[in-house]
Amino acid sequence: MSFLEFLAGRWTEILGLTLEHVVLVVISTVAGVLIAVPLGLAITRLPALGRPVLGFAGVIQTVPSLALFGLLIPLPFIGGIGSRTAIIALVLYALLPILRNTVTGVRQVDPAILDAANGMGMTDWQRLTLVEVPLALPSIFSGIRIATVVGVGLVTIAAAVGAGGLGSLIFRGLAMLDSRLLFAGAIPSAILALLADGGLAMLEARLVASRGAPTS
Amino acid sequence: MNGVAISFREVTKSFDEKLVLDRVSLDVSPGEVLVLLGRSGCGKTTLLRLVNRLVDADAGEVYVGGREVADWDPVELRRGIGYAIQGVGLLPHLSVGDNVCLVPRLLGWDPERRRERAAEMLRLVGLDPREHGDRRPDQLSGGQRQRVGVARALAADPQALLMDEPFGAVDPIGRRSLQEEFRSLSRELGKTVLFVTHDVTEAFRLADRIAVVADGGIRQVGTPREISDAPADALVRGLIEGAA
Repeated sequence: MSFLEFLAGRWTEILGLTLEHVVLVVISTVAGVLIAVPLGLAITRLPALGRPVLGFAGVIQTVPSLALFGLLIPLPFIGGIGSRTAIIALVLYALLPILRNTVTGVRQVDPAILDAANGMGMTDWQRLTLVEVPLALPSIFSGIRIATVVGVGLVTIAAAVGAGGLGSLIFRGLAMLDSRLLFAGAIPSAILALLADGGLAMLEARLVASRGAPTS
Repeated sequence: MNGVAISFREVTKSFDEKLVLDRVSLDVSPGEVLVLLGRSGCGKTTLLRLVNRLVDADAGEVYVGGREVADWDPVELRRGIGYAIQGVGLLPHLSVGDNVCLVPRLLGWDPERRRERAAEMLRLVGLDPREHGDRRPDQLSGGQRQRVGVARALAADPQALLMDEPFGAVDPIGRRSLQEEFRSLSRELGKTVLFVTHDVTEAFRLADRIAVVADGGIRQVGTPREISDAPADALVRGLIEGAA
């Protein structure tokens, strides 16, 4: 039986797992954005927050993903086996790239623009919403793109704690010494990562083009 | 509408222990163009920024229209004073027209009135609203951007204008025509203008009166003629002769 015939026989299963995979990535990235963007903006207003928050997010990045999934399992309420544990870990991993790009995006706004904004009589909130966030958007967006692509890879490992997704095919293939199963999980997840990167890059380019260059 | 008077009374300001302004007093009459002329680091920009409270004085008072600026809410004060700077600071994600009408937008004008005002202001500074109004700032030349900066400073009909090297980033030929147009524009509008520059020729071309600033103090105040005829000291003489 060739590999293609093998795939043809299992395409519904592969499709279902791919969908599960996508849903996990989307949920965790969206949650990551909802937490990290406001937190990043808060850091630009309260610089004292920057060191502890970015430090915490940075430490998480250094924990190997398999270990983080393992660490979460015994925790009450948030832990256990299943997709919930996986999503929590995935959100934690999504925080750093989005946080860092939000903070840098706001900090690299041309000082002349900020001076003009202040001199025109903008309140701090108006400066944030009318000037800083729009100008930081391309940077924030590329942080989201990084988080998404990394998330596609991490979700495969989340299968180890029973989250489902394409990783379950890979782990099954490993356990059964079946390289066809392994590839049936690995190839679609690689394609998914490339699609996510390419798609978001296109969106990003359109965003930048429609708003003019980020600096004048 | 006529301009307001701006006065500085014994104003002192330090940054990090370094004295930038040392008991400076100066009166700007309503409707006049007063140029603060000096080398970089002399304190002229700080003096300008005291007026709209981008900087607050350590001691002394600043009055705009007879009212001490410390009594104003800074946001409200700034919306009533036009502000144009060297980097221009146009918002790259907004159209030229939207940039011009930022202060009116902050003041809550409705969109229709803002559009009309933007067109009027662009014509005033020699730009065609139909040709330039919908463009992005990065599609304009450096000189055109500076014009937009001036239009923006004027949009809410402020009684005073603060300008910090607003033509600094333009080539010499473009700068000359900007200066000449600005001179006739400011005469026509009758607004009080406080204008910072290190360019002696620019100062002499624009000013009703010049205040020569050096080492945190004002060395001489007078009309361009008074200053060129009788420089108060060697420093003033050196500054204006250096340009000749």
